[in-house]
Formats: sequence, structure tokens, C-alpha cells
Amino acid sequence: MAEEKKLFKVTIDNITVEVEPGTSILNAARQIGGDVTPPAMCYYSKLKGSGGKCRTCLVEVAAGSTADPRPMPKLVASCRTNVMDGMIVKNITSEKVQDARAGVVEFLLINHPLDCPICDQAGECHLQDLSYEHGKEGTRFEFAKRTFKKHDLGPYIQLHMTRCILCYRCVFVAEQLTNKRVHGVLDRGDHAEIATYIEKALDNDFIGNVIDVCPVGALTDKTFRFKNRVWFTKPVNASCKCDKCSGKVHLWMRGDEVLRVTARKDQWGEVEEWICNTCRFERKDIKDWTIEGPVNVNRHSVISQGHYVGLKMPDETFSKVMNGRQPKLLMDIHSVSEVNKPNVNLAAIPGPAHSTDFDTKTGK
Amino acid sequence: MATGSQAGYQIARTTKIKLSDRNNIADQNMGVKLLLKDAHVEGIRYYDTYRKQGGYAAVEKALKMTPEAIVEEVKKSGLRGRGGAGFPAGMKWSFIAKPEGIPRHLVCNADESEPGTFKDRYLMEFIPHLLIEGLIVSSFALGSNATYIYIRGEYAWIPDILEQAIAEAKANGFLGKNILGSGFDCEIYVQRGAGAYICGEETALIESLEGKRGNPRIKPPFPAVKGVWDRPTVVNNVETLAAVVPIINLGGEEYAKIGVGRSTGTKLISACGNINKPGVYEIDMTISVEEFIYSDEYCGGIANGKRLKACIPGGASVPILPANLLLKTAKGETRYMNYESLSDGGFATGSMMGSGGFIVFDEDQCVVKHTYTLARFYRHESCGQCSPCREGTGWMEKILKNIDTGKGKMSDIDLLWDIQRKIEGNTICPLGDAAAWPVAAAIRHFRDEFEWHVLNPEECQRRNYGLAHYADAREVVA
Ligand SMILES: Cc1cc2nc3c(=O)[nH]c(=O)nc-3n(C[C@H](O)[C@H](O)[C@H](O)COP(=O)(O)O)c2cc1C
Ligand code: SF4
Ligand code: SF4
Ligand code: FES
Repeated sequence: MAEEKKLFKVTIDNITVEVEPGTSILNAARQIGGDVTPPAMCYYSKLKGSGGKCRTCLVEVAAGSTADPRPMPKLVASCRTNVMDGMIVKNITSEKVQDARAGVVEFLLINHPLDCPICDQAGECHLQDLSYEHGKEGTRFEFAKRTFKKHDLGPYIQLHMTRCILCYRCVFVAEQLTNKRVHGVLDRGDHAEIATYIEKALDNDFIGNVIDVCPVGALTDKTFRFKNRVWFTKPVNASCKCDKCSGKVHLWMRGDEVLRVTARKDQWGEVEEWICNTCRFERKDIKDWTIEGPVNVNRHSVISQGHYVGLKMPDETFSKVMNGRQPKLLMDIHSVSEVNKPNVNLAAIPGPAHSTDFDTKTGK
Repeated sequence: MATGSQAGYQIARTTKIKLSDRNNIADQNMGVKLLLKDAHVEGIRYYDTYRKQGGYAAVEKALKMTPEAIVEEVKKSGLRGRGGAGFPAGMKWSFIAKPEGIPRHLVCNADESEPGTFKDRYLMEFIPHLLIEGLIVSSFALGSNATYIYIRGEYAWIPDILEQAIAEAKANGFLGKNILGSGFDCEIYVQRGAGAYICGEETALIESLEGKRGNPRIKPPFPAVKGVWDRPTVVNNVETLAAVVPIINLGGEEYAKIGVGRSTGTKLISACGNINKPGVYEIDMTISVEEFIYSDEYCGGIANGKRLKACIPGGASVPILPANLLLKTAKGETRYMNYESLSDGGFATGSMMGSGGFIVFDEDQCVVKHTYTLARFYRHESCGQCSPCREGTGWMEKILKNIDTGKGKMSDIDLLWDIQRKIEGNTICPLGDAAAWPVAAAIRHFRDEFEWHVLNPEECQRRNYGLAHYADAREVVA
């Protein structure tokens, strides 16, 4: 006779699910899916000990359990709090949570460079998604942002610490996947930084996975840097026979060219199976791979811009739309921006930049 | 300058009080000393003198009791943790898990780094054997055969003192194998920190003790279940563990008779700031705050004939109170130096006992500058794990620096309030709260001083003090 397992009933934003004891609130919410799932910037189900740090997944526990229905006094990190039978959780139905989360997003952004236009992660950045969904427009931070120098971590990986949100995921990867740990956190507080001890190169077969776990553009693939924007590339499932890893990857293609290789990711943006450095950095020829088919991309993502079907041209022409007028110019595009004066250090301006800061007449 | 004469804020000193008029309920118990009773005895740092004064009697008594009976005595004594949170020590001890075959540990938290707190240093430096004695008794009660003292790195000269005391205790059979023939083995090891305030937080301390980066752990699991090397662990403050000695000697019930309500026993207070007699005092928690500040037995009044403006009664992390709310509660009752009375009124009009770091400000001190100094401390000491504390502490520091240097805006004050509100309660460890509370309390009680800084950007640069109209209008004549 199969042993009967007692499941815990938990209600999140008025939706009830039954989950196994030992499930975290976040994972219970993932079983429901949709808006009910709190955003997670540091938790990574495949990395033991991760989570609890970014505080974006905070939720309100309105009732601890059936046995003890008292509410929890503080918001809790849903990724590190386990469900109890009869627990009632409020995520998007709690104003307190919304307010705290907007606060966390603001904290994460005050020192973030917001250099998305030149960042390789743009388009697949979790911080972009988080800010868009839970942040506020505008900033109240009027100081120079914290900056760090860029570092090369070995021949393939670049660390742009200025963008880092200190989620510690890469530290866990280095600890749990590689056998020699030379990658970690130095210093503390807002001056803490991810670093390798004395700029050591990371020569380990699986270290490339730090790129995939990084939610922002702090760790990037040097073989892909500035090659293309992700939304211009087509991700396909591909595999190869590899003696180090499963060989199951996503190829990011433009035409027949393989621009980038990453591990396959699930709907939460988490790696399904870790891949080795050879697959990631060295197999850039289409002949190295067996293509299995297109990747199923969430339709809200900028990456799903209908690349698999042919380009669909609009039927109407400009002149038709504009009643026969043929405009000469739709937009005034300069090849070199007059606005972005290279001699003006935006970070050094106290408060938001104004047009006077770029006043070309006063020659500032 | 005899009277407050800063432009526009003239206040006459109205009432004058005499020390003899003070409310004297403390007098029956006045002078009860348990921890520092022999502090003045020459040579008390060494075993022979300590033993002659009756030292190590508690070990002899305790080893004839059962561990459960000792825990029971500590429970009865009502002893509350002296490290800051005030959690009942006996209760904490009874939570320790006892899985078969897994060693348990006691860790003494001697990382004392809270600005304004220096009571543990005094104890360890002058009466080290009291701590060692308390540790032996507590180790026996908890079943810890390897006990650690994690000491603040900056206390560079104290590990030697402790190690000598440990060696003396060992030479006399109070440590090592089969202590006094009881069959109980115990060793005490001193581990030095490397100069991080955060390593005083118990889970960060445990990480650091294990040789890792001192990041606080996410609870649960609590140390009582998984502490050092995942073994059940109790972390207690130096003073808490030292207080176990008089508890065993007197018995829990007798100890509980000292003090008032849930503030039993005696408490060490490290008093500093603008007072005549800064130092470490042992009080029995029935005296009023006013008596503590003005009586000659304790702080001896405000230095240089100035008036009291404000005070942080329990170490840098607890809310600052203006003179009027410090001496009397919002209901107009006398405020006493104990856990309940100091927190009367919650954070709106009260503060906390905290770690007993009593910091006094006279009328010339500037709350804005002081708050900026604290914000700088917390920014520097945040471990940086969680976003609200890592980013929020730095942001608050920058805004406070602006206000302090005359570059602030009115809206900055509300912004500060909003930032601290979004840090508090949303972090992994209480350092986030500790960074938020001082800022919140300063704005709550001294908002016009912040506004004055914004409105008088030049004057606030020239003068190293803020507004004085908060000062206690009384003058003490002895
Ligand atoms: C940031 C931070 C720093 C702390 N520093 C100390 C300290 O230096 N000494 C101490 O005894 N407790 C300190 N604590 C409190 C400890 O976490 C813990 O509560 C205490 O050691 C428990 O001992 P007790 O129950 O005897 O008070 C600190 C807590 C925090 C959050
Ligand atoms: S580099 Fe990326 S993965 Fe590593 S801590 Fe920073 S944000 Fe997280
Ligand atoms: S609250 Fe501050 S000190 Fe505590 S864990 Fe978070 S970042 Fe570290
Ligand atoms: S995902 Fe839970 S705290 Fe970061």
C-alpha cells in the first residue's frame, strides 16, 4: 500500500494549493504561477543555501498555520520560509508588501548604473523586469553612484561589478560547482565586491555558469560581448555529445552564426542543467550542434519578436497613412549625439541632469 | 554663558531641584553590587585574590547540582540577556537541542562593538575570573565541553588577560578533564575577531568563529538547533554569563528579589558623553534615570555646568530621547533605569535598555551631526548581504551629510524618514533596524533641529551645536 503523504494546504492571495511539507512559500507560489509568484532576485533552486538576501520576495503571512493562526509580525522572505498547514499568505493583495517591494527595488537601483543601452544583459535582465513590474518611475537618489573598475575573471568572463546586486548566486556556483574556490565577496556593506583573490584567473570547467545565474549584466560572456542584442538573436534548443556535461544548451543564433551558447533555462529563468566551459565558449560552429527546435520564449519577452516566422511587412505605406504626404524626415537622428557631451560626467552632477548641464553655448 | 542664549531660543532655568528631594525608593537596595563588588580589591585579576574573595564557590556548588537544576535556577532568577535584546537566559538555555551523540557548545559573545558600550571590557579586563567562573557553570549546565569566547579584535590586550585566567583556573583544577572529580570536562578557547561590529550578531559570530566571512545567517534554523558547525549552540553576552555566578551563589529566587518587575538582578551601565563621571556602574534597576545622571554616586551630573539635552540610554542602536522624555515618561511618571520603564511608551515616546551604553548629550551637542556620525558607522558596518541595509545605510549617510554640511533640503527629512521605514523590519538581521531606529528617533524628537540646519545653511557650518531649547530646564544644586 502506498504510504499516504500528508500535504499542507496554503492559501496565497486567496488561491489555495496543496504542497509537500518542507516547501517554501515561494515554491508553493510558483506552483500557482502568474502574478501570485513573488519575484526572486537571489534565490536559485539549484543552488543550496541561496536566497534570503535580496528581499524582493518578501510576503506577508496573515496566518501562520491552522494550529497557530497568529500573523507573523514582520514580512518574511518567501524563498526561505517554509509553508505550514493552513498558512495564509498575502503577496500582491498586501499593500505592505507592495510598499516594501517598491522600496527594495529602489534600493537595488540607487547604485545601479542603469546603463542598459550598452549592457549585454538588456532584454534578459531580471532587474529590468523587476523595476518595470514593481518599481516606481523616477529616482530620489541624488548622489554620485558607486562605481568599480571592470575585471576580467579569466579569459572568458568579465565582471562589471558596478552592475552587481550582490545576490551571491555566483559565489554559490563557485562554491558548489567548482573544486577550487577563488571567487567570493571582499569587503562589506555598500563597498562589498565580488572578486577573485588577487585577480586570479578562474580556470575551472564549470565556472562559465556564473554568467547564466547572474540576474544582471555584472558577469558577461566575453565571447559574446557587444556582438549583438539578445532580441535580434534567435534562441534554439541544441545538443552535442560532450564528455563533461549533458551538452544540452540554447544556441543564440543570427542567421547561421552561433553568437552565444548558454545553458537551457526554465520558466523562472533558472538553468536546467549546468554546462561546461567547452560547450559554452568554444563550440561556436553550427556543425558542432544538433538543432532540436526553437526555444519557447514567454510572449511578453522582447526576445519573442516573431523571429521564427518571416518578417511581416505592413501593408500600408507611409503615404497612404498620411493622406498622400511623403514626409522627408520622420526623426532627426544625428550620427553623433550633440546632447551626450562626453566631457560631462553625469554621475558627478548633484541631482538629475538638466538641459543647462549640457549647455553648448556656455561651452560647459 | 549661564543661561541658554542662542538667538531666538531663550529659556529661563525655572525649577531647581536638590538631590535630597529625589524620589528615594532606590535607597533600600541602593548599592547592591554583585558583579563589581570586588572590583576595587587589589589583585582581583589574579586567581589567588579572586579565590580568597570567595571566587569559584559557584563552580563547587554547581558541580554538585544537576545541569537541569542549574537551568531551573537561572530561569527562576529571571535573568535577561545583557547583550541587547533582553531575552530571558534560562528560557534560551532550555531551548538547546540535545540530539544523541552530537556535541553542544556555549559561546560567549565578547564582541562588544556597539558605540557607547564598554561594560564587558571592564569586566574582562579587571575581573576575568568572574567570567571564567560563569562560563564553567554555564558550560556544565548546557553540556558544553568546548566553550568559546569570541572577543572583539580591537580589544587586543584582553585575550592575554583571559588566557592567563584560563590557565590559572586550569592549574587549580577548575578547567580541563574531570573538573573537581565531577566527571565533567571543559576547555575554554579565546577567539579574536577581526574588527567587525556585525560579528557581534550571534549568527555572524558563529560564521566568523567557523573561520568564514561574518555574514549573519538566515534564521531559522536558530543556533540552539544548528549553531557552530551545525551543532546546538547557545550564544550569551559576557555580562549574562558572569551573572550566573551570583545566581548560583544566592539561588535564583534571592537574585530575582533584586531589581523590579521583569528587570531582575543588577545591570552594568557604561556611562559616557557630557557627564562628570563617565565609567562603568553597577545598578540594581530600581533607580531613576534622573538619579543616575545627577547623583554623585553615578554620573555626577552634566559636565561644565551645562544642561542635559538628550540621551541614548542603551547603546547607539536604541532611540535617542530628549531630556523631558528621558526623565519622565509621556504619562508624566518618573522613568527608571530598567527594561520596562526605559521602553515605556514604545518607540513613540520611549527607548530601550539595549546593551546599557548610556550616552549623554549636553545643550551644546548637535543631534544632526550625531545622527550623521551614527549613520556613517552603520553604513561602514553593514555586512552588505541584504539590499535594504546595504543600500539604505549608505543613502541615509549621504543625505545626513548634506544636511549636516548645510546642503540639505526640506524634502530630505521626509526622504530620510521614508528610507529608514523601508529598511526597518525588512532585513536579515537586526543591524538594519539598528541603523534605522536612531535616524527615526532623531527625526521624531528633533525634527526642528533638522529643519534649522536646512534653513540656516551657513550658521550650521559655523556652529558645532544645534538648538538648545530641548534642554532640561532644571538645574541641580547639590
Ligand atoms: C549588529 C549586532 C551586533 C551585536 N553585537 C553584540 C555584541 O557586541 N555583544 C553581545 O553580547 N551581543 C551583541 N548582539 C546581540 C547578539 O546577537 C545576541 O543577541 C546576544 O549575544 C545574546 O546574548 P544575551 O542573550 O546574553 O544577551 C548584537 C546583535 C546585532 C544585531
Ligand atoms: S556578479 Fe551577478 S551573480 Fe554575482 S553577486 Fe553580483 S549580481 Fe549576483
Ligand atoms: S541587515 Fe545589514 S548587516 Fe544584517 S544581514 Fe542584512 S546587510 Fe548584513
Ligand atoms: S529571492 Fe528571496 S530574498 Fe532574494
